[in-house]
Amino acid sequence: MPSPIIEVRDLDKRFDRTLALHGVELTIDRGEIVVLLGLSGSGKSTLLRHLDGLETPTSGSVRVLGEEVPRLRGRRLRALRGRVGFVFQQFELVPSLTVLENVLTGSLARLRGPRLGLWSYPRRLKLAALGHLDRVGLLDRAYQRADTLSGGQQQRVAIARALMQEPEILLADEPVASLDPESSEQVMALIREIAMDAGLTVVCSLHQVDLALAWGDRIVGLRGGRLVLDTPTEGLGKAEVMEIYGRVATATAELEAIETELADASSEARPEHAEPLAEGAGR
Amino acid sequence: MTALAPAAGAASVAERAPKHRRSPERIAAGLALVALVVASLFALNSLGISLPSMLESWSNAERFFTRVGTIRFPEPLELVQLTALTLGIVVTGTLFAAICSVPIADLAASNTTPGPGWRAAARFITVFTRALPDVVLAMVFVLLFSLGSLPGILAIGIHSIGMIAKLFADAIEQIDEGPRRAIRAAGGSKLQQFTSGILPQVLPSWVATVLHRNDINLRGSVVLGYVGVAGLGLEMSHAFKSLNYSLGLGIAIVMLALCVLMELISSAVRRAMLHGGRASGGPLAATTAEAAVRRPWTAARVRTTIWSWVTAALLIGAIVVCNIQWGDLVTVWAKIPPVAAQFWPPSFGAYDWTRMSGAMLETIAIALAAAVLTLLASIVIGSLAARNVAPNRGTRAGARFLLVGIRGVPEVILAIVLIVITGLGAQAGTLALAFGGIGLAGKLIADSLEEVKGGPERAITATGASRFQRYAAATLPQGTPAIIGHSFYLLDTNIRAATILGIVGGGGIGYYLLNAGQGSNYGVVTAIVLMILVTVLAVEGLAMWMRRVFR
Ligand SMILES: Nc1ncnc2c1ncn2[C@@H]1O[C@H](COP(=O)(O)OP(=O)(O)O)[C@@H](O)[C@H]1O
Ligand SMILES: [Mg+2]
Repeated sequence: MPSPIIEVRDLDKRFDRTLALHGVELTIDRGEIVVLLGLSGSGKSTLLRHLDGLETPTSGSVRVLGEEVPRLRGRRLRALRGRVGFVFQQFELVPSLTVLENVLTGSLARLRGPRLGLWSYPRRLKLAALGHLDRVGLLDRAYQRADTLSGGQQQRVAIARALMQEPEILLADEPVASLDPESSEQVMALIREIAMDAGLTVVCSLHQVDLALAWGDRIVGLRGGRLVLDTPTEGLGKAEVMEIYGRVATATAELEAIETELADASSEARPEHAEPLAEGAGR
Repeated sequence: MTALAPAAGAASVAERAPKHRRSPERIAAGLALVALVVASLFALNSLGISLPSMLESWSNAERFFTRVGTIRFPEPLELVQLTALTLGIVVTGTLFAAICSVPIADLAASNTTPGPGWRAAARFITVFTRALPDVVLAMVFVLLFSLGSLPGILAIGIHSIGMIAKLFADAIEQIDEGPRRAIRAAGGSKLQQFTSGILPQVLPSWVATVLHRNDINLRGSVVLGYVGVAGLGLEMSHAFKSLNYSLGLGIAIVMLALCVLMELISSAVRRAMLHGGRASGGPLAATTAEAAVRRPWTAARVRTTIWSWVTAALLIGAIVVCNIQWGDLVTVWAKIPPVAAQFWPPSFGAYDWTRMSGAMLETIAIALAAAVLTLLASIVIGSLAARNVAPNRGTRAGARFLLVGIRGVPEVILAIVLIVITGLGAQAGTLALAFGGIGLAGKLIADSLEEVKGGPERAITATGASRFQRYAAATLPQGTPAIIGHSFYLLDTNIRAATILGIVGGGGIGYYLLNAGQGSNYGVVTAIVLMILVTVLAVEGLAMWMRRVFR
């Protein structure tokens, strides 16, 4: 394998008083499926946003697809963003547009000028968009308004929008945190399948340890803006992850917070749901 | 990615995809929108609004100024008297409307109305008084009261009830119901529930509404002068009629300055209310109930009291200045039947149907043409004035400043000046109307664009789209329902304003209205008013339908 697809070196990010990221080092190779694990406020979103050039580092270097992201401006930054898909926790579809047009907005980086209405996109792209909708199982919803869909369906449309970019990397920021367990399972399985089919590199942030273990190939743990864990999931047990978290937690308050979070996560994910996910992950 | 969408599969996807179906109502509404846009373009064309004609009007204006020479103002004493009378009539009329609006709003608001019948009646009053032009009311009242201030006061007052009562009712519907329920639970009467539970909550919004309407009434008062209501407007119409252009323009400038001044005062008052609100007392030094029974005179209380007295004095002053002949209010009732008889039956008199419908169509054309011009300009300026669209802060601040500046210009006065200077009728009127509309429409559009959800915009940015692409894909689609709503509001006000425009020489039905009034052909006045009412109500109905379909 040539140079890594994502390479973060000594990344610091400061917002006014909070140090959101501190000395983060991360190397990801093409085709890897990585989970970013951490409590809320640990810096997961901030790190992901740096990878898509949506945030500028206070110091350090972020190389994605061979480009030094913080140096990119204008057209070249947009070209990079076009090669990286981003899935948001709140889906962020345009509510008043049809599902199909929402998917088509994923092709904007490759088009010149603004587009308004379905007729303004070439037929070729419309066919591709319908294909992606078919892939996520929502072809029949193509002409419905986006806000008439359920949460799980909207997130699948958002995934189709990201696919429309024909990305090489897919970033997902807590993609199932706003969904019920059933839809969560569907969406996570879908992301994994698509990534495997297309050979995508995926970085997905989660806060549930169970889900992370079952779903990812590699877990990267963040705590208070520092990278505290980076390990393959194969043969890794929940107790070990917890232990690593425990070892790096310095204050008892932090330990307690992690424990509650983990307890919540395991009570949320009912056993019958954890099973098929584990199967999907263990090829 | 080819694995995901193979070429052979793509065709089958197209076959399996559902057909794009829209509801028939939405299609109809879409077609109506397109038809309106096409009609507006025709209107622009038929009014002859184009760059060459504008350049020509510029040379007209130059010739005009060489002919007229300098601008003249009335004698200082006369000027003060006229100004005081104009302000007095406007303020008293607005006050009258505000007082009448309280019970009507109470009946019209869904949470205070005694029953659906009352509610329908109250809503009817608001729609009807708003649709009835104040100029027509003034014509009628001039006949009833001969000269004096009462025709102006009553015309302004009755016409303003429509808007004030509607906004009062909207404010009542938005209150927190808790306090009123608590007073009812404690055994308070209906009136007590209103004064203690509702009034304190709605007062700031009510005062803002009344101040806003007062500004509108001052701007409109010029036109009332054309049908005989005393004040600056009457002097101005006399001056223009006797071809004394330099005096007429002088009065127009005074009027313009008055409008700007009033706008500044009312916006300062609104701001003070928004930030200050009612002064809250600090901790009490007194330790016994007897000592505490007198509320301490804190600085805030002194300020509130002084302002209350100043306001009361100004209002009383406004009424005194009008020198109202109260006796007329008693004797007028005997005059009503004969005057009413003159207005019935409606007829076109010496005119025929083609001419009258043509004039009405010209008024509609002016309103439509002005609306498209306004919309084109205000979508551009309004977008640049929106925080999430403007390329930088400077642009946004500049655009906002421009909009505030335009809003300060009273369009009817601008129209009068343009019509007189350029010698063009309908074109000048349309341009004045179009320009005046930008201030409000641009602000409303900017505010609506700023209110859209930010998430979809961020998502589109993350796909690598440019600013302009993001604007078209995420910002504009989310703002469109609001923009359609604003457009119909604009058309609605434009139709009313275009009617008025004819009275000051801007073409359309207003010209015939003024002629019929001055020639005492009151049957014709009634016929024209009916045409205006039908048009205004049709536009209002269309607007309601559009707002419902494009939610
Ligand atoms: N735009 C911002 N302005 C100020 N502070 C921020 C901003 N974004 C994130 N932070 C802070 O940075 C820290 C990390 O946040 P985030 O990356 O959102 O965490 P996570 O996604 O893991 O919940 C938090 O303390 C948060 O308050
Ligand atoms: Mg987050």
